[in-house]
Amino acid sequence: MRRIGCLLVPHFAAAAAVRAESGLVGRPLVVLDETRPGRLVIEASAEARALGVSLGMTEAAAQARPGGVICRERVPAHEVAAQQALLEVGLVHSPRVEEAGPGEVYLDAAGLGALFGDEPALARRLVQRARDARLPARVGLAGSRVAARLAARRTAELACIPPGADAAHLRPAPIALLDLSLEMARRFARWGIRTLGELADLPGRDLYERLGPEGARLQALARGEDPRPLDPWRPPPRFEEARELDWALDNLEPLFALFTECAERLCGRLEAQALAADRFEWSCRLAARPGETPRTIDGAFVPPVPTHEARAVMAVLRATLAAEPPSAAVTALVLRAQPVRVPASQEPLDGEGRPSPRTLAETVARVIALVGPGNLGVPVLLDTHRPGTLRLEPLSAGSGSGEGGKGENLRGVLALRRCRPPRPARVRLIGGRPVHLHAESLAGPIVASAGPWRTSGEWWLDSRWVSDEWDVELADGTLGRLAHDGSTWLLEGIYD
Amino acid sequence: MAIAKESLPPPGWGLEGSAASLLEAFPRGQLSEIVGPRSAGGSSLVTSLLAHATAAGALVALVDGSDAFDPAGAAAAGAALRSLLWVRAGRRLDAACRAAELLARSGGFAWVVLDLSADPTAPAERRPPGLGAATWIRLQRAARDTPTRLVVHASRHLAGSAAALVLAVERRAPRWMGAPRPLRLEGLGSRMEIVRSRTFSTPPSPPGGRGSEWEVTWRL
Repeated sequence: MRRIGCLLVPHFAAAAAVRAESGLVGRPLVVLDETRPGRLVIEASAEARALGVSLGMTEAAAQARPGGVICRERVPAHEVAAQQALLEVGLVHSPRVEEAGPGEVYLDAAGLGALFGDEPALARRLVQRARDARLPARVGLAGSRVAARLAARRTAELACIPPGADAAHLRPAPIALLDLSLEMARRFARWGIRTLGELADLPGRDLYERLGPEGARLQALARGEDPRPLDPWRPPPRFEEARELDWALDNLEPLFALFTECAERLCGRLEAQALAADRFEWSCRLAARPGETPRTIDGAFVPPVPTHEARAVMAVLRATLAAEPPSAAVTALVLRAQPVRVPASQEPLDGEGRPSPRTLAETVARVIALVGPGNLGVPVLLDTHRPGTLRLEPLSAGSGSGEGGKGENLRGVLALRRCRPPRPARVRLIGGRPVHLHAESLAGPIVASAGPWRTSGEWWLDSRWVSDEWDVELADGTLGRLAHDGSTWLLEGIYD
Repeated sequence: MAIAKESLPPPGWGLEGSAASLLEAFPRGQLSEIVGPRSAGGSSLVTSLLAHATAAGALVALVDGSDAFDPAGAAAAGAALRSLLWVRAGRRLDAACRAAELLARSGGFAWVVLDLSADPTAPAERRPPGLGAATWIRLQRAARDTPTRLVVHASRHLAGSAAALVLAVERRAPRWMGAPRPLRLEGLGSRMEIVRSRTFSTPPSPPGGRGSEWEVTWRL
């Protein structure tokens, strides 16, 4: 016999805010959507509703209610945490739970009697565990999802619909309980169908002819029939390997060996589940003197492509730790992976000159170990006229996969070898034109020059800039670009 | 859409006609060199080769030994930057050579360019310190049996007999618009010559070129 439990947290966004800030318990709270003009109320606690606050009200209108309300902006992270806590309350009691929406969880309640007693006892236990998680949940138990939800909505705390009584309990319930689409809701309104009982009484064949399978499904739900199995929610897998040490390590090589062990175990687990990781995090707990609190150093890196290759992970980790070794002996270490599923793809037949993702990840990791993270990537030009402004992005496996044409539009462009950073220069002027340059070892008379070419930007910010550029030719034939920002001359680069 | 005639470069400018034969000149699985003094056009040639390769859909890597590469200039030359892996070795030439070796050995890049040209303000034509013959033999072996064209760009010939092809770039007169007082730098003329080729018994004759020589004007 099928039994479904529904855990329902009314006014969920407000409940999540109260859960995150214990001082709000029992106080009139409204949650605002700051992205909308007027900062509208999108959720209100029961205490605020008792003061006459309604959804859609502006912040000013809500605060004008007698007694006053407390306003908080919506924090999605609080809601995610609260939803996770609610799902975990369900999972503690049943191996199968389904996430039904914000503040709403179904669980398979069949066969739990031997563990938790009869259904009211199970419901009380669920309510208590939710309270322990600082969530004011209501619990409904019935033979179908719709009936369990109805029971949870109508009760103040817990309600159980006896087996076989779903249809009778559902009859007077409003049809909106079925989460109808807008079109379906309008159609039922036109027909004058307002309760589930009225929908259940419609001739099934005629309903199917007019509304198709969706109509038949809705009617079955209205009759308390719920054949669809629960869509089980699984907690996100935690890929973490840690090592506590009995002795403190003050040498990098043994530390690398232990990290390698962790990386191999972690990558083995990822590979076994056909997963890869697109982010790795590591941390080391450092030994402390007596009386001091142990410190922890940590870091994270993103491989160029999701990987489960321990060698590639260790190449980056070695480079990172070798560049900045721990300042004290290490007493514990942790390596975590953020798993992603990488769809299988076939190598293109004309794939000459393109590395496989695995080779790419490994090679890039080794090069990072040589030059350091942040010194390798695909250059991306930023939307500014400021010279030399760019950022580096990780090379993705899809790079170079045939974009671009055949090169018909190539131009022979004179390249500038940039000085990074631009070198301070001493420039002598005659008649406003540069005639002699001295910048580090580059010095000599200027035999030809053209300019100034002015560029400027961000004049509306504190970081405004202006630059007058000159192209110059030295007597030895060197072509360079100078820039003058109003006070200082800089050598921006050499044309080559 | 028609392009206004005034916006087109004069005939003989750039690499339009010569790029294909230049690409063919650099052998796969071998080490090649582009050598030339400061302001001779070597970096412009490298940029053009990268642009040609990326525009054709290949993945290329540039190991920048002096952190002087200008991506905006490469984009202006037609390069697809998404296909360019830029390695900034921060003036550590040994790390740059090791990085180029790893990239070439992977065989996944159509072109790997190791730019060992001196820093723009460093004394010209100085031999990079710490790079012995073993470095070039290692690089040559890394590229062997791969489809990668490994190109070293430097101020002078460094790789000795490890280089299968050496392309020398010489400076020609820059072109200034306006006389007697220049109003704008228009471009730079370069002469390129294959001075050593182990793969061609007769060096390729470029269109518009003579023997194994090219005359190119890079425009600003």
